[in-house]
Amino acid sequence: MAWDISRRMFLRGAGLAAVGVGFHPSSLLVRAAQAAEAGSRVLVQVFLRGGCDGLSVCVPFGDSEYYDLRGGIAIGRGELVNLDGHFGLHPALAPLKALYDDGRLALLPAVGNYALSRSHFDAQDFMESGTPGDKSTGTGWLERSIAKVPGDAVTEAVAFSAQLPRSFLGPEPVLVAQALSSFDLRARNWRAEAETLLRAMYDARDDALGHVGQETFAAMNVLLRTPAIMAPPAGGAVYPNAAIGTGLRQAAQIIKAGIGTRAIFVNVPGAFDTHANQLTAHTLEFTRIADALVAFARDLGALMDDVALMVTTEFGRVAFVNGSAGTDHGSAHCMILMGGRVRGGRVHGSWPGLARSQLYQERDVAVTTDFRDVFAEMARAQLGVDGSSLFPGYTPGPGPGIVA
Amino acid sequence: MPIDVGPRAAVHLLNRIGYGPRPGDVARILGTGLDRYVQGQLDAPADPELDSRLRGLITLDYPISQVLTLYNADQRSIGVILDELYTAKVIRAVHAQNQLQEVMVDFWFNHFNVYVQDGFARYSTGAYEREAIRPHALGRFRDLLGATAAHPAMLYFLDNYLSRANVTVGGRVVRGLNENYGRELLELHTVGVDAGYTQDHVIDAARCFTGWGIDNLNNSGRFTYRQAVHDTGAKSVFGLNLPAGGGKDDAEKLLDHLASHPKTASFIAKKLAERLVSDDPPPRVVDRAAAAFESTGGDIREVLRAILGSAEFWAEAFGAGKPKTPLEFVASALRAADAQVSNGRAVVAYLQNMGMPLYACVPPTGYSNRGADWINPSSQLYRMNFGLDLAAGAVAGVSADVRGVVRRMGGNSEDPGSVASTISAQIFGNGLSRSTLDAASRVAPGGSVSVAARVAGLCLASPEMQAR
Repeated sequence: MAWDISRRMFLRGAGLAAVGVGFHPSSLLVRAAQAAEAGSRVLVQVFLRGGCDGLSVCVPFGDSEYYDLRGGIAIGRGELVNLDGHFGLHPALAPLKALYDDGRLALLPAVGNYALSRSHFDAQDFMESGTPGDKSTGTGWLERSIAKVPGDAVTEAVAFSAQLPRSFLGPEPVLVAQALSSFDLRARNWRAEAETLLRAMYDARDDALGHVGQETFAAMNVLLRTPAIMAPPAGGAVYPNAAIGTGLRQAAQIIKAGIGTRAIFVNVPGAFDTHANQLTAHTLEFTRIADALVAFARDLGALMDDVALMVTTEFGRVAFVNGSAGTDHGSAHCMILMGGRVRGGRVHGSWPGLARSQLYQERDVAVTTDFRDVFAEMARAQLGVDGSSLFPGYTPGPGPGIVA
Repeated sequence: MPIDVGPRAAVHLLNRIGYGPRPGDVARILGTGLDRYVQGQLDAPADPELDSRLRGLITLDYPISQVLTLYNADQRSIGVILDELYTAKVIRAVHAQNQLQEVMVDFWFNHFNVYVQDGFARYSTGAYEREAIRPHALGRFRDLLGATAAHPAMLYFLDNYLSRANVTVGGRVVRGLNENYGRELLELHTVGVDAGYTQDHVIDAARCFTGWGIDNLNNSGRFTYRQAVHDTGAKSVFGLNLPAGGGKDDAEKLLDHLASHPKTASFIAKKLAERLVSDDPPPRVVDRAAAAFESTGGDIREVLRAILGSAEFWAEAFGAGKPKTPLEFVASALRAADAQVSNGRAVVAYLQNMGMPLYACVPPTGYSNRGADWINPSSQLYRMNFGLDLAAGAVAGVSADVRGVVRRMGGNSEDPGSVASTISAQIFGNGLSRSTLDAASRVAPGGSVSVAARVAGLCLASPEMQAR
């Protein structure tokens, strides 16, 4: 497998990259062609942890069962933002309507995979590895994707997260950062000496701890050499003060700085596991999502043409309301997709319906689009990566056709 | 126990059943004997010195009702109360003699995780740890399980307090059930996600717990049971069949069943071995721990004894080490520097940046026990900076005198090589690599930050310090 020839090797070989690639001349040509096509496009994945309720993101108000199933937590016809006569946006997502109308934002309800399980941990793990049902996969789907992209900068793959997301697990170097602005050693009055001596300690090791130290210093150097990264939001964009806001603000900073970043993961812990009182939780969280996406689009301006962003979560929730004005763990969820090359202004995929016989196990929204088909489409469009070998044991279908 | 009595083995033990060595610890426990040290840790006798350090934290023992009363009188009080909770956690990790007990309190809190910022959990997390976790951390699993199940903090966090029987009114089902606790009880607390239970088992587990609730969220915050909302139908959960007509006891029977289930024994054994032995523990040590769990009816001390007496545990002393979690790193650095902690607020902020804020893991899953999950450039940078700041005396609420420590341990605090080798002996069982020792020894004389502080900072930021 060509992607196993790690870019780590090239990184370590400093300057030997061209020679290194020579091991696989044919794959080099393929990669170069794909890279030229994909140019400098960027794939952004936002992951909402907790299982965000798809029926509240993109409300199927035209489905005759919806109001019966949801009872007191249903979104009223008068409150939601009508999209196409059948679906409507949650009122807190209203700011997204302009992007939708502008053809830059789309929705994909009923996406997922049955093998994801109703466990948060398993479902996240399966989605991020891209191998539902198989816990032994040692790499993440974004790591496998970025491995096929030529280049050796540590900033090519970036995660705004406190921890390395499972999606990026694997041998590829990934910059994991919470705050770009403070990415520096804090040895006052002896910084240079500290850096030199710590580098010597970490450079001497060829194991996981050594590598993470080397990547930390590599990232530090890039970030310190690129003051443009600290540019404030453009176009009057105002990001919400929440994980999705700070994540996307920094994603925009790094995209605008033009240092070759191709894949960005934004981790969003939040109140999405709405077993109780979900109306309140959704108003809070959806407002943040809408404000962050609008700010991101405004901040990037024309650069948004090269960016495609998808908002995902591990599973959707049960079609009917539970006993606590909330919903328990379900199956299909709803993705939000945004970008210059996203076929926006429409609701994609096919709607399975909410009648008892149409629900999965008589409780969940049924899955009509496999999430890997969307991931493959995104990887092809944004990274120039052929998705057919991206998911061990699965050949993605033609895809829902969301990204041009 | 097959114990290699050497500094390396002593350091290994201190790193695994505690938060790492303080200067002098290695010689002390080698003098006691590692066997006796382990026994003492399992006994966990009184620790008056720790008690006196915690005495100033007056809200630490407040019952939930008192926390609510204070909060209702002045909302700012909860900030003080949580600060004291966090500070106590740091002080215990750094200063407790009963290190294993603190490790196990952390382990079980994390296993039965609640998120401190979640509504009512803010007022009850301290009580939860004190009443449900700490008394049973080295006790019996069934007691621990029962105490967590009935605690208002857990009843709130996993929504069980809202769960009521579904009822049929005029031919229509009015849903009252909330599956959250029922699912996590099986998936996270007992038999584990791969045990083979079904969605129907999840639902019936939740039905067993209908009626287990909280009397009042705003004033008293006590456990209560309401028979009127209990689901009295027959139930079937993963091999346990309960006839119709049950009450509060349905849940107790389910807990009995789950606590004694072989899948629980292996699930808990694996997780403990993951914490104490390695990220991917050898099956032999897991089997041995599971067998101890089963044969003793879930006696946690005996499970620990089985793990700590295994060849697999001791073999790790000479392996590559297990990457530390942020808490393990921070606490071990504070201990290595012989630091005195008076206030934990600054330390808590570092932990937050490293991705492990105290009591604040949002998902019920709890923080990962796998060291590899915590290694990334962002966390690495904060770790290095914590080591450098600590040695330079720049962490608020913490005092550390590395020059004094080096001198006390017989080193020359002005000679970089001597400082580095003293630290290697005291903290690493002479395990600092040649390259780390060489680099630390190259610290230049003079400068505004002392030689000892710079060398110690580099050692605390070194690759070896990142693993245990």
